[in-house]
Amino acid sequence: MRRFKWFPIITALLILSIVSAACATPTPEVKVVKETVVVTKEVEKVVTKEVEKVVTKEVEKVVTKEVEKVVTKEVEKPRTEVRLSGWTASPEEENLLRALLYECSLQNPDILVKYEPIPSDYWAKIKTMVGSGTEPDIYYMDIFQFPFFATQGVLQPIDDYMAKEGVSRDEFLDTLINAFTWEGKTYGIPKDFNTLGLFYNKDLFDQAGVDYPTNDWTWDDLKAAAQKITDATGVAGFSVPPDPGRFPIFVFQNGGQIMNDDFTDTLLDSPEAIEAGKFYTGARAEGWAIIPQDVGVGWQGEAFGKGDVAMVLEGGWMVPYLTNQFPDRNYSAVHPPAGPKGEGNLVFTVAYVISKNSKNPEAAFKTIACLTSEESQVKVLTSGFALPSRKALQSHEYLQNNPVANAIFTGAEFATPFMWGLKGETVNQAMAQALERVYLEGMSVEESFKQAAEEIRAALKE
Amino acid sequence: MTYTWRRKLADWLTAYVFILPVLLGWGIFVVVALVMSLYFSFTSFNLLKPPQWIGPVNYARVLQHPDFFRYAVPNTLKYSAVVVPAQTVLSLIFAFALDQKIRARDFFRTAFYLPSVTSSVVIGIIFVWLFSPKGVINQLLGLDVNWLYNVKTALPTIMMVNIWSTTGTMMLIFLAGLQDIPSELYEAAAIDGASRPQMFRYITIPLLRPVIFFVVTLGIIGTFQVFDQIYIMTKGGPLKATTTIVYLIYFWAFGDVTPDMGRASAAAFILAVAIFVVTMVQRRFLEREEV
Repeated sequence: MRRFKWFPIITALLILSIVSAACATPTPEVKVVKETVVVTKEVEKVVTKEVEKVVTKEVEKVVTKEVEKVVTKEVEKPRTEVRLSGWTASPEEENLLRALLYECSLQNPDILVKYEPIPSDYWAKIKTMVGSGTEPDIYYMDIFQFPFFATQGVLQPIDDYMAKEGVSRDEFLDTLINAFTWEGKTYGIPKDFNTLGLFYNKDLFDQAGVDYPTNDWTWDDLKAAAQKITDATGVAGFSVPPDPGRFPIFVFQNGGQIMNDDFTDTLLDSPEAIEAGKFYTGARAEGWAIIPQDVGVGWQGEAFGKGDVAMVLEGGWMVPYLTNQFPDRNYSAVHPPAGPKGEGNLVFTVAYVISKNSKNPEAAFKTIACLTSEESQVKVLTSGFALPSRKALQSHEYLQNNPVANAIFTGAEFATPFMWGLKGETVNQAMAQALERVYLEGMSVEESFKQAAEEIRAALKE
Repeated sequence: MTYTWRRKLADWLTAYVFILPVLLGWGIFVVVALVMSLYFSFTSFNLLKPPQWIGPVNYARVLQHPDFFRYAVPNTLKYSAVVVPAQTVLSLIFAFALDQKIRARDFFRTAFYLPSVTSSVVIGIIFVWLFSPKGVINQLLGLDVNWLYNVKTALPTIMMVNIWSTTGTMMLIFLAGLQDIPSELYEAAAIDGASRPQMFRYITIPLLRPVIFFVVTLGIIGTFQVFDQIYIMTKGGPLKATTTIVYLIYFWAFGDVTPDMGRASAAAFILAVAIFVVTMVQRRFLEREEV
């Protein structure tokens, strides 16, 4: 009986101890390392004192004795720790960043960069982290998301650090550095970018006996070539996906805009945009272009790889994709064709930004400066993953010898950032659906674009 | 006296210590989360800045949003109206069949249950391939339909996938219920000359009523909250043909550049109330028939 009485309490305590041990949250930031040194000496009147100083990582320990014998352990200078996060597009790109970080650790031996990649749902995660004050010191910022972070004041302006480190805005392509400027302050150093190029399948052009596209092409040239290829080969000449990351360049080339200058209204129902929409959707109605879904794929890059379309507007990401998936595809790329009002393009760019909460903004900026230095960017460029944001690299031999990369790089000159303000995704959806209504339901372009504009205005008013 | 009192206390303590881990997890991840989102539903909250109290405005913003009543609610109701009856009837038939002594019974039980233990993301991706224009389904049927990129077929396709993947779980619950029915009842009925369909109608169904209630309730809750397969297969498209309430909540919370947690939380509470009401009504309905 007696034993039984105590059994539950003992069990309870046991389990409580296990649970509390399991629940105890580890605090990895500050490690208190304690060491007890037992000094035994036969000599009388020897008193051992221990003084422990706790530094961020290392422990400096002084053992003082009355005999005034001081023993000091050799201690490494503590390194400033900065955390860096970004999404991971591919293992190769992640490895490239790790290689750059290693180089930078040699260059800045006093800074320890902790790289914490976020493999999926990057924006939900980073916004939650910023909201709870646990975001990393440095993180990737897409131009599409930048206005939200800038207006909320959660980013660190970096102009002072740039001056201190001798990094000038002029060293970067204007379109890119201006994109990450808000109310006269610089908030990010663009790490790389992409624009759209007109990718063309050389074999299909040869088969149809049509001259390859050039940078001087216009809408009329595009249409004529695509029609000829469609007639001669049976493969569609061009692709016009209901994609808000492709269609807008036709609006720009027609002198229009998607949003007004301060992003408070949409211009999707302007005559310029509607006319561009008619040309774009008309291409499919007239039979010289397809949408990817017509040939049973989700995106036009795959259709191009499979040889189901002769020309597509895509970015530099096509190069590694085609190399991996369709290594036999014989292709090249030029600037997108010009419209009635000249050239137009979209630029997709990502910058490194520093959190306003960062305790070590200086070390963070030094890291960014190293990651976007000319040496680092040459490595990025020659790896073929992305295009460098520095003006000086436009004459680099890799770009000179690589027509596709060159077309994408020089496309930035006429490009508008892919960014529609604080309700950007609503704008994207409205635009995609404006095109889908035409494709799937046969609605007129005017009506469909007007409806999209109304949807966007309703969302902006909220 | 003190002796028993102390023993009671010890028992009480033991019990609470045993449920403590679950209680903690439930408290933090359910109760706290629930109370917080109720609070958020009365605020303007974009994740980055602290929430601002604005009162019940978000509830009006949800109900007035064109997408809510034009797409999300009808799509969710249509989905539920097809999926719940279909999966209940199918799983009941399967369970009844697999409760008989048939050849390879264990194989079929495993086979029908297999989809339920497979990740819905994996199922979604597999069915995207199967239903693609040049996929297996079209080749078998000799059709050229873009199932998931067609306003008319996208939602029914997702319904089909969900019926396929959840029927196994429901079947398992029905099987357990069937095994609770005493075999004497069937024997007595057999002596009285009842046929198999008659036994099914007059013994199985009435005795399974509580299980049917449970399965239908689970089905309604599950279908009202459908999200994962839609997120994987269509992202709410084409033209919002597969935008359901939870998909809309997700878009408001995390989809746009500026998160709108207030409206998303309000919509989540509206959905919770709707599920609660539907479940209560359905319970009344089933209980009344029991008499």
